[in-house]
Amino acid sequence: MSYAASLATERTSRPTLRLKRMLSGGAAVVFVLYLAMYALYAWFEPSALSLYTFTNLMNNSAPLAIAAAGETMVVLARGFDLSVAGVISLTNVFMAIYPIEGPLGALASLAICMAIGAAVGAINGFLVAKLGLQTIAATLGTMIVCQGLSLVFLDAPGGYVAQWVSYELTDTLFGVLPISGLIVLAVALLWAGFSRTNTGLGIYAVGADEQAASLSGISVTATRFAAFVGAGILYGLAGFMLSAQTATGDPNAGESFLLLAFAAVALGGTSLSGGRGGILGSIFGAGVLMLLQKVLFAAGVSSFYTGMFQSVILVAAIVLGNLIGRTFSKGAVR
Amino acid sequence: MRLNKLMKGAASATMIAGLAATFGATLAQAQDSGSDKKYKIYLAMSYSGNSWQSEAANIVKALAKTPPYDKQVELTEVISGTDPQAQISAYESMIQAGADGVISFPISATALNRTIKRGCDQGVKFFMYDATVTEPCAYNVSFITAGFGENTAQALVNELGGKGKIFLSRGVPGNSVDKRHTDGAMHIFDQYPGISVAAEYYSYWDDRTTQQETAKALAAHPDVDGIWAQAGEYGAVQALLDKGGKLVPITGENSDGFRLALADPKMQDMGLKGVSSGSPPASAGYAFKIMMEVLTGKRDLEPMNIQYPLPWVPAADVKLCEGDTFENGCNVFPSEKVPSSFVTEVFNPTLLPELTLTSALDGNPTPGATIQPLPEEITKAPDSPGINCQRCEAPENQYELTKVKATVQP
Amino acid sequence: MNQTTGNDGSATDTFAHVEDRRASSGIDRDLVNIVAVFALSAVLILCSRFVSPALGSWNQVLTILTLSSFLIVLSFGQGLVILVGGLDLSTPSLVVIGGVLATVYGSDGNAFYVLPIALCVCALIGLVNGAGVVILGIPPFIMTLASSIFVASAALGLTGGTPRGNSPEILAFLMKERWLGIPVVVYFVVLFAIVGWIVQSRTTLGRRLYAIGVNREAARIAGIDVGLTEAIPYAISAACAGFVGMMLVGYSDGATLRMGDSYLLPGIAAVVIGGSSILGGSGSFVGTVGGAILLTTLGTVISAIGLDQGYRTIIEGSIILVALVLLREDLFSGLRLRNRKA
Repeated sequence: MSYAASLATERTSRPTLRLKRMLSGGAAVVFVLYLAMYALYAWFEPSALSLYTFTNLMNNSAPLAIAAAGETMVVLARGFDLSVAGVISLTNVFMAIYPIEGPLGALASLAICMAIGAAVGAINGFLVAKLGLQTIAATLGTMIVCQGLSLVFLDAPGGYVAQWVSYELTDTLFGVLPISGLIVLAVALLWAGFSRTNTGLGIYAVGADEQAASLSGISVTATRFAAFVGAGILYGLAGFMLSAQTATGDPNAGESFLLLAFAAVALGGTSLSGGRGGILGSIFGAGVLMLLQKVLFAAGVSSFYTGMFQSVILVAAIVLGNLIGRTFSKGAVR
Repeated sequence: MRLNKLMKGAASATMIAGLAATFGATLAQAQDSGSDKKYKIYLAMSYSGNSWQSEAANIVKALAKTPPYDKQVELTEVISGTDPQAQISAYESMIQAGADGVISFPISATALNRTIKRGCDQGVKFFMYDATVTEPCAYNVSFITAGFGENTAQALVNELGGKGKIFLSRGVPGNSVDKRHTDGAMHIFDQYPGISVAAEYYSYWDDRTTQQETAKALAAHPDVDGIWAQAGEYGAVQALLDKGGKLVPITGENSDGFRLALADPKMQDMGLKGVSSGSPPASAGYAFKIMMEVLTGKRDLEPMNIQYPLPWVPAADVKLCEGDTFENGCNVFPSEKVPSSFVTEVFNPTLLPELTLTSALDGNPTPGATIQPLPEEITKAPDSPGINCQRCEAPENQYELTKVKATVQP
Repeated sequence: MNQTTGNDGSATDTFAHVEDRRASSGIDRDLVNIVAVFALSAVLILCSRFVSPALGSWNQVLTILTLSSFLIVLSFGQGLVILVGGLDLSTPSLVVIGGVLATVYGSDGNAFYVLPIALCVCALIGLVNGAGVVILGIPPFIMTLASSIFVASAALGLTGGTPRGNSPEILAFLMKERWLGIPVVVYFVVLFAIVGWIVQSRTTLGRRLYAIGVNREAARIAGIDVGLTEAIPYAISAACAGFVGMMLVGYSDGATLRMGDSYLLPGIAAVVIGGSSILGGSGSFVGTVGGAILLTTLGTVISAIGLDQGYRTIIEGSIILVALVLLREDLFSGLRLRNRKA
């Protein structure tokens, strides 16, 4: 029995399932929220509609968006991955101490960053899927090890990221399309394809109900492993994009991503207990988090009030998402 | 069941309404100000939450409210946390909002460079206090290059007579300021074969962490002879007191608790000696005043690295203040007035006579004070690669002792 | 559709799992796990003699117990929240609020009512967390993260950044004094561990929390007021965190606004290393205490190693991983699962 077939018998037919998943999952809600916030931003600060500002915003949001996308894969399979902080630091340090110039150099750096991420993801996957450790504890361990490695390679912020990376990747294509935005788009498209494969569907199935997934012939071990490796690759990409933006290395660069990545995932409507949601929501969730700072600044909210507003908006967004989700999917969920 | 749903609806509605109300109120407030032309200054902090950071921010706020600046300055405070990306985003917003000047504690020495450069190109003046950036178009006002590490290390070596087991209580791992201090200190310690570093730990410039980390190190090395500490030093004193037995010479930074301890005869009898030096929050006020003088055209100054003098208070020089500021050479406050973590070097009688405790603690101007002009002379800071310049060389004599002389030879 | 019912998907799995364990060698295996955590700590202390001859002494044990007291108290509350399938990220800010209230409003004379009131304030904040999770269906992760940011901002606004005042005497007594050569706080923490264990494992409340963590729906059907009961751990967790803030005030005579930061991840890690499932419904507070002691011991030994911080960090992470592998919870049940599949 193939995975897809088993899934089909397990649940309702797939297209409707996906539609419901999208609406109740909150990707649409967070997208609307993003648009509304951008409108608010543009209202306060008309230059927000300029290409320059938009490009800056994209550059600023891309690392978190990609990191959150990676985190989503693990969360969907019902797990927490703390190693996101470690991998971003490690790849950022690598970019700063071994800059490789030119477009080919950038490609090579990118490949190495993704390989670093994949390696850490594979270790996580082995510890969790094969040895049966709890995700949060195992990835805490790998995160700490990665932080240590970053410190060994670079004991204080410094180094220079290759100029080609730091200039070209923060620029625009044809003068209108921010490259960082295109890279995020590429991640979203790749996910859209991947989530239709057996492994992609398997991640949802394992996250929703491990036992049922296992009974219907899905290899829980392989699926979990794949989710961690995929996540690691995306963290590597996030570290790469972060390096392009900051143009320098910092052994603690990834620390601030830890909680933000989870917040973006949750804001994007992905259930933190697995099985429901998607990467698109997380990307917009990350966008909302970064945009929030801009809106609050433009609105003249300053000092410690910013924190209060951030928290209230975070909660309000989730509540709103729940309400809308409930209206759309009355009776459809379980 | 229905009641439950109703409750949920009501709760959500209240929350959203409340949010809208607060948001509206802030907007109204924001639109009120800004009628007559003022200099738009942004105070871009890292995090706020330890005494050092909040004192530095408070004195800038107090100065901005002191006449005549109160009529000339519109100061907005932005807190970015420890995330360089958040600060990049904040800087972008400030440039976009048409800032005249940005006074900032930079989170990273290098990551902000490109944003700062863009701001400079649009005519924004960037003044960094305490921490620095390597972008040449920004002004750095800092004590970092003034030799805290090597001078305190030599003072400790002198106290120990050139031999003994010591601890290094460092700052934040992977931080360039911590590295500069420690490099300076090791430059001295390495010259003395009699000095051995028994333990080296990171205390994150925090009293509590220092106390806990020192306690751990003391468990392994109860026979330590001296402690070289960065900020958080009062925690090292407390850890020794917790353990019982004698105290040892400690060099550290400028917390009120540490200075009081240094001057306490009881502590001295137990063996506490040392010197209080290190990072002064006053550099924020100094940076702000230079920025205002540049903006108002009173001073013509190209972007440069400005050195704030290194505070230096050996135990014998500790003197209790009777009033609310440094006067008559006093340099510490009684414990009823300030918490032990209060960083005393927030005042400077020559550079910042406008400030008193209410400025440092609450950000209020001193009643009756007006802004006094700064002395003409400004000290240029030496180059320090990765700290205040890129692709540059440190001078030969970068670790030269300025505050103490070696009294023992290796 | 939301987090409140989030574990339902896994419920059959977890439930079967726990049933299974009860049926076979469940209690024994919990015990094995707890013994293993403490044994690992002891081994680590003994091994530390290789690092420094002064280690492994009675004094070092007392230092470790004193330092782990913060983590033990904190992770009791966190453990209860995790037990019902939640997570409390607001602990760092509540540590701060507890400490700030104790120093700013507390003094030697009024400590007897200020400290309890401060704890109630913390518990109230925790109750708000619980209400957000239970009534509004906000994922615990987001609810507690948001309230953490909110409370931290409020503390900043309240104090202007520099909390004034000193430690009330009673807190200094708790953290600094010794009886019969043993710090008072060590007696306290032993007492706390016993009471905590009783609350979690031997009271009706504790049993209900387990029931909710294992299967919320089944708990509801069994007549438990799931909503109210699920909110209680958040209040307890907040009060515990607030009390840790007070202990820190007593320990180093004063509060700062960042003193809770270093307890967030270790607080969660202690619970998980102690054998509780992050998904809820299993574990014991005694295991958590072992986890906290293990983590503190590790920190003590690591800091005595004369290597660069980078290498020390790598060793620390690796030891945590090795410990996890040795303490593997699914070591046996994993095998069983495979058998069932076959």
